[in-house]
Amino acid sequence: MTLDLISVAIGIIQTLVLVVLAPLLTGIMRKTKARTQKRIGSSILQPYYDMIKLMKKDEVVSESSSWIFRASPWINFVSVVAAACFVPVMIFYSPFGLAGDLLVVIGLFGLGRFFTLLAGLDVASSFGGLGSSREMMVSALIEPALFITVFALSLTLGGTNLSTMVESATHSTVLAPSIIFAAISLFIIILAETGRLPFDNPATHLELTMMHEATILEYSGKGLALVEWSQSIKQIVLFGLFVNLFVPFGISTAESFAILGIGLMFFVAKTAFLSIFIAFIETKVAKWRLFRVPDLISMAVASSIIGVIFFYLK
Amino acid sequence: MNYALLLLQMTITLFLGGSAVSLILGGKKHASLVIFSLSAAASLCAIAFASNQFLSDGPTRFSFKEIFPLVGFDVLVDNTCAFFIFLIGVISLAVSVYSIGYAKKYGKISSFGFLFNFFIVSMILVTVSNNVFSFLIFWELMSLTSFFLVIYEHESQNNRKAAINYLVMTHFGTAFIATAFLLSFVQTGSFSFDSFRQLGSNSIFKDAIFVFALIGFGTKAGMMPFHTWLPQAHPAAPSNVSALMSAVMLKIAIYGMMRFLFDFNNISSPDNAWWGLLMIAFGAVSSVFGILYAVVEKDIKRGLAFSSIENVGLIFMGLGLTVVFASYDLRALSAFALMATMYHVINHAIFKSLLFMGAGSVQFATHTKDMEKLGGLIKKMPWTALLFLIGCLAISGLPPFNGFVSEWMLLQSFLLTSQVPDTLLQISIAIASLAFALTIGISVATFVRLFGISFLSKPRSELAAHIREVPRSMLAGKSIVAALAIILGIMPFVGINLVSISFGLSGVQANPFAPLVSDTHDPIYASISMPTVLILLGCVSVGAFGFVRAIGGKTQKITSSTWDCGFGSLSERMQYTASSVSYPLRIIFRFLFRPTLQIQKELEHSSSNYEKRSVALTQSTEDIFEQKLYRSIISASIAFFGKIRLVQTGKVNAYVLYVMLILVVLLIYVRLQ
Repeated sequence: MTLDLISVAIGIIQTLVLVVLAPLLTGIMRKTKARTQKRIGSSILQPYYDMIKLMKKDEVVSESSSWIFRASPWINFVSVVAAACFVPVMIFYSPFGLAGDLLVVIGLFGLGRFFTLLAGLDVASSFGGLGSSREMMVSALIEPALFITVFALSLTLGGTNLSTMVESATHSTVLAPSIIFAAISLFIIILAETGRLPFDNPATHLELTMMHEATILEYSGKGLALVEWSQSIKQIVLFGLFVNLFVPFGISTAESFAILGIGLMFFVAKTAFLSIFIAFIETKVAKWRLFRVPDLISMAVASSIIGVIFFYLK
Repeated sequence: MNYALLLLQMTITLFLGGSAVSLILGGKKHASLVIFSLSAAASLCAIAFASNQFLSDGPTRFSFKEIFPLVGFDVLVDNTCAFFIFLIGVISLAVSVYSIGYAKKYGKISSFGFLFNFFIVSMILVTVSNNVFSFLIFWELMSLTSFFLVIYEHESQNNRKAAINYLVMTHFGTAFIATAFLLSFVQTGSFSFDSFRQLGSNSIFKDAIFVFALIGFGTKAGMMPFHTWLPQAHPAAPSNVSALMSAVMLKIAIYGMMRFLFDFNNISSPDNAWWGLLMIAFGAVSSVFGILYAVVEKDIKRGLAFSSIENVGLIFMGLGLTVVFASYDLRALSAFALMATMYHVINHAIFKSLLFMGAGSVQFATHTKDMEKLGGLIKKMPWTALLFLIGCLAISGLPPFNGFVSEWMLLQSFLLTSQVPDTLLQISIAIASLAFALTIGISVATFVRLFGISFLSKPRSELAAHIREVPRSMLAGKSIVAALAIILGIMPFVGINLVSISFGLSGVQANPFAPLVSDTHDPIYASISMPTVLILLGCVSVGAFGFVRAIGGKTQKITSSTWDCGFGSLSERMQYTASSVSYPLRIIFRFLFRPTLQIQKELEHSSSNYEKRSVALTQSTEDIFEQKLYRSIISASIAFFGKIRLVQTGKVNAYVLYVMLILVVLLIYVRLQ
């Protein structure tokens, strides 16, 4: 894995794939939800149209906010895209893999979230505070679940370096119990991190139910476009990690155009399937009461702990 | 020519000079400039002294017989010592520069400047001491000078209470440390640290010494459940002193612990693994409970004090992992864990001094440290806000700041425990890592809340509305540490090399881009290279900006009022407050805080319950350790002393009776012999 021109090019292409495809996944999820609710729904390309339209609009900025509010969408977007650089997409490695591992990805997401939460508090409205406060709670509690899942994964897959992890996932033929429990846990974590039901409802503007939407309520124009886009990139990164770690089937192992193309197709198909599945789940469950959310998170923690114990006791 | 001796003498003389000058000049107009320039110069000498030691071959020894004629004052400066002196030097340099402006708050500063300089020099002398007597004498000097500094603003009843509590607890710790030393003395028959290094391997004695040292130094470091003095003393002290106490004095306790663990002991048998496990357990408790109390705290400095307990917890966990690895003879892993821990020691000193100085600036400008009364400071104090934000990002462990690097290394040390050949130990450490991760998660929430409520949105009271940016010297002091927080975040090799040289570890990196790996035998296990991450961030931001500009073109920003649902007139009283932001966490962890809510209503007419003239709402949380553990100990001892009072009546006739009774008993005893 030397840092030659081809592999750097592959790395950049992988990142661009994630950045470009991210809104599509959101579109697919919205379409699925519409269909399961017997609506026709908007086109799956609608998120792209929305984003382009928003980028051309002027922004309205609250007078009580500071530069934090204005900088936050940019910082959020940049950190999420930088995190996407470390994630293998269609080939089993990322050339930037040695520079950052899974914990760096989590850290960069954390940086973005830090500024989003601050922006929520910056606008001096109760909505922003409410959203920040709740999102703060979920993200603080999800952290142990996330780390212990990383623990279980790194034990089984030999490291926290994403390239190493995906590579050994492609080579392993037996499904270890620790991996299964880690997968359950990571699935719950993904629901929480991307603000899906039963944690948060991405399609609401009711103060009783919203978390992420309340935090970003004041954004408009370019800022809103960036916030929405970063949210969907974060989503595709997490989905991508999930499919590549647990179902690496079809990922390319050689640097040729044909195989890379096949790898890309498999990646798109797998993430699309995962997003349809999650959207389907969303139509089946109701949002949980805020103070029941820790129960679900503790289930994730328990599941990964079991995974770790299984690994040690084998 | 012996530079080491010269530099040490210069350091001490300059600090003592600062003390003397402040006694003479105290009340003059530019006194603070002179006094704190002297301490800044002295700090520079301390840095030079430490650097000189890093460059020299082996440990340096001096002996000053004349200072303590009976036992002598042996000085041994090895690299470990130099590391801590370096840390003291850097932090006290920044704090001294900051104090030039901050001390203007107090009119006459003769005693303050005197104590301030004495406090720093006593910390340096503790680290260089090489025998029990001088160590304990300077330790006591450090405790007493800091006690007087804590009680400096003695007009307030709370501050006096806090200082007395500190005085009691610090002596409780000193008693344990002295016992640990005495037990070692029993073994070797000498008070010199050199003899302790050749201590035999009498395991029960060693275990006892370890426990005493852990409790003693743990008390000074603020380890739970011996922490109760810390959240009271730090807010009571002037902010520059809190910065020094939290950033450096706690580290002196860590230094003492290091001496006991790795210098006076040679841990290499699995029998010692429980030492590590015990420290991990104490560390886990301190970190989780510390940060949980920080997240609900409304007083900025008290919140920071609780976060110091949390960080000390993380450091103890790191030391524990180091001991566990060492006891199974996993040398490379032990070295990595030690490096992570010491990196965190540096980082905590840097960002905590930055944050305490920031809190001091807030207090300087607004005269309050109650978050509920602040808000909107970022517009009036932009530089303080920026520097405070850097501190918050660093302490939350976010890239590309220094906290991230050390937390990454600590997390990796947890992952490496899979190589410890003991399943039970592996599983227990995996569960302890949950505490670590929860701590990191909640610390993000804590500092979002701390910064968001104090600096952002609208001012919540008149105090925060009409303020000015603090003097330049205060900003300069904070900038020094803020710059270090960034440098250590984007170029970890600086810190890695410092730690490697100080503790004789084999991790010296020459190339800043070389990835930092956790397991040297398996480089693809995990690695990061922070400069590359920074470059990626830079490239992405240029790309993103260009792209958005190309698609969207140039757009305007229109300033308008916050959306108010059409009701109009949003006031600052409708904002989220410090208590409401942490409400969900307070409810989830209510067993810890036992939140109480008191609503007092004053009714307009006694007939109707609905028309209220005024409503007073009091919300409070409490520290269960203090309530459960300490209250019961205190009430038990009061009951015990109450019993003693039956005998100790205070009447002279009674004592004469006792003397006579004893005499009779002795006479009978002699007779029977």
